[in-house]
Amino acid sequence: MKDISLVKILPMEPKVPFINLRFFAAVFSVIALIMSVYLFSSKGLNYGIDFTGGTVIEIDTGGDPDLAKIRTVINEAGFPGATVQGIAPDASSTLNHNYVRIGIPLQKETEETGAAAQQIAMKAAQDALIENIDGFKGSENIRSQEAVGSAVSGELRQKGILAVALALLMVLGYIWFRFEWQFGLGAVFALFHDVILTIGVFSLTQIEFNLSIIAAILTIVGYSLNDTVIVYDRIRENLRKFKKMPLPDVLNLSINDTLSRTILTSLTTLLALTALYTLGGSGLRGFSFAMIWGVFVGTYSSIFVASPLLLLLKLKRGVNTGNAEGNSN
Amino acid sequence: MLFFSKWKISLILSCLLLGFFFALPNVLPSNTRANMPGMFNRTINLGLDLQGGAHMLLEVDLSSVMSQALENEKETIRQEFREANRLRTETIRVDFDSDSVFVRLRNKEDSERAYDLLQSLSKPIDPSSLSQEKTTSVQKDGEKDFRVMITDANVADIQKRTIAQSMNVLRRRIDPQGTTEMTIAPEGDDRILLQIPGAKNVDDIKSVINKTANLSFHMVRKESNNEAALRLAVEKGTVPPGAAYFPQELGGGLIVERRTKITGECLKTSSEGLHPEGNYPIVNFTFNIRCARLFGELTSKNIGQRFSVVLDDLIITAPRINGAITGGSGFIEGSFTLESARELSLLLNAGALPAKLVIVEERTVGPGLGQDSINAGKIASIIGLIGVGLFMWLSYGLRFGTIANIALSTNIILIAGALSLLGSTLTLPGIAGIILTIGMAVDANVLIFERIREEAHLGRPPVNAIETGYRRSLAPILDANITTLIAAVTLYFVGSGPVRGFAVTLAIGIIMSVFTAVIVARLITATWLRRNRPKSLPI
Repeated sequence: MKDISLVKILPMEPKVPFINLRFFAAVFSVIALIMSVYLFSSKGLNYGIDFTGGTVIEIDTGGDPDLAKIRTVINEAGFPGATVQGIAPDASSTLNHNYVRIGIPLQKETEETGAAAQQIAMKAAQDALIENIDGFKGSENIRSQEAVGSAVSGELRQKGILAVALALLMVLGYIWFRFEWQFGLGAVFALFHDVILTIGVFSLTQIEFNLSIIAAILTIVGYSLNDTVIVYDRIRENLRKFKKMPLPDVLNLSINDTLSRTILTSLTTLLALTALYTLGGSGLRGFSFAMIWGVFVGTYSSIFVASPLLLLLKLKRGVNTGNAEGNSN
Repeated sequence: MLFFSKWKISLILSCLLLGFFFALPNVLPSNTRANMPGMFNRTINLGLDLQGGAHMLLEVDLSSVMSQALENEKETIRQEFREANRLRTETIRVDFDSDSVFVRLRNKEDSERAYDLLQSLSKPIDPSSLSQEKTTSVQKDGEKDFRVMITDANVADIQKRTIAQSMNVLRRRIDPQGTTEMTIAPEGDDRILLQIPGAKNVDDIKSVINKTANLSFHMVRKESNNEAALRLAVEKGTVPPGAAYFPQELGGGLIVERRTKITGECLKTSSEGLHPEGNYPIVNFTFNIRCARLFGELTSKNIGQRFSVVLDDLIITAPRINGAITGGSGFIEGSFTLESARELSLLLNAGALPAKLVIVEERTVGPGLGQDSINAGKIASIIGLIGVGLFMWLSYGLRFGTIANIALSTNIILIAGALSLLGSTLTLPGIAGIILTIGMAVDANVLIFERIREEAHLGRPPVNAIETGYRRSLAPILDANITTLIAAVTLYFVGSGPVRGFAVTLAIGIIMSVFTAVIVARLITATWLRRNRPKSLPI
């Protein structure tokens, strides 16, 4: 029986001159990084209530909602800055009409309300809806409600930054321990590159940036690093094997050696993520968008950022006498 | 790498079998599950975002508890000085700036006696413990001045007890029958986490959280008949020493004795009922024996006078005492509806909260949204799984594709088994973690197969190529997965709520994918090699 398999179409020894493209890649990356930083500082991120505080109520009025009327009711209840959106349910949903998402910005905590300000706002908005909107009778029509006070959102913001910083630091430590310092630095540069570009794309698209996006960023860090480590591992092995080969050639050979793996793993991950993005429901759309972006950026950065950086950081040949199994210390 | 001893094979197989049995209850109907032995009838817990329910973070107003503690300390000191022989003071007041009770004597000759008296009021926090921690510390501030401070140990003790008591009261209020599977846990220094699955009416829950239900009976002072004194209390907030002003539910207010021994703690039971004559809603109560006697004494001494029933700083009724009440039971009448009488008796039965609670974070998911999320998650996982499976067959052909797919399905079963065994909670982001794992899990297999392909291409015979392929890919696989695991662990410790659920599934997924790819798939490959002894590799 003869198997027909895709891997046989991928060349056994591809010879794509990745390293020769490093100057184009560097220009591209630098432009993308500058754009991301510019977007972040000018447009900022569309933070969700996890980080801004405030109230979000999703209601189902039992039929297609009258958004204009709901907007008027909410505005007149004392929330002129509120947003009211109609949202189409997912294909797998039990609903067959649109539901409504009402966002009320963070209410100031006065002496009178104290930390209960968001709860008071939520109650006021719901009371106004019960009184004026026919299809809304209270908790039975609520799909979800969230209220986050300013103290909690501040803590979540801090925790989010801490999580990303801590993950980067620990990962740097691990790479340092397993490889030479140039590798550690190269990997972490690549990770910063990925994280900044991800923040840039969220600033560009203004997709809501909430706690699950922090989770996505950390997963991107994990994924991108995974990719980088595979390439680095092969670089280390090839350095030992081909002692006379110039460094750029070793890098290129290693990237090509691992290319089919890179392509296959990216494709399967993208397959799973596409299923999640299209079918996983609105709650996971932001997360899966970030991850899909992360797979592209992470794969790109291991090939075009992490590896060429080793040239820039002047990786020394003599030091790399560790064997292929990786016990170089 | 390809030789497996008998005991190794049986160890691997029993791991798989165990994982399979732990995962099994999730797909069994619940009545079959009930007959399974204890360890094997656990299923994956669904998070509140999937099954619907309320998640609330409550902040306990500890600062008011501490000021109350200072007020109490002040009252005790005042009482003791009054009872002491010729020990006169000029002022005794709470100084909130330095969190202390300030005492100024009239004569400096009394200084030593006063110091001894104040010292004697400082008691061990826990008489049964060996530590000598006292409740208060006394500091001499000048010839006639003293400051009494609550010690740090006592502050910590009071705060700990306040949180614990708040949690107990909350549990009794929200779940008087003890039937709901809810979580009440302390969080940080001054917060309580409340998670109630499938909560139907969040508004009712909030309304019992928001009430402290502090009940007390105070004698009404005669200044209440004095228009000028009342006006002074309302406008300036000044009341005679030892008195307090509370507004009345029906308007106006009364000046009453601040101190009382009849409080909510005196209540044995309470229930809603109807007034025997008027037929309007009332709240019946019975006192415990100690308070029944106290109340009997109080009422027999004060016939003809009025006492007030104060709930959360609001007078709900202030009847005149017509005769001694010695039976230890009575009723409160106010402007109750049946509904509010029922709520009040529930609150009184559960006891008062020691401090005000504020909901600083709430996330409530209705059952409709939860079900939608589960459905969407299921469909996305199945489609993702099928897609990846087909892709592996397409990429590696029937034989190695099948090995990868067996590893992948084993991986999913093991994840389900581990989640059930650990009793961890599957959240919406957790589902994302599983789907992501489906995509990433094949990575280890891809790495191995690519390596084998390379080694075979270099001219090694099949067995040798496979052997070398497995050996050489081990280091990169471990390196790559440990780094992702680091990210997942960081996320678990820093993240909160649903994000933690993601970290858990991601971490379990990574561990299981390494196990299935490096060990299970290798066992299958080795078995296949031994049976077939192929001349060339179908890869």
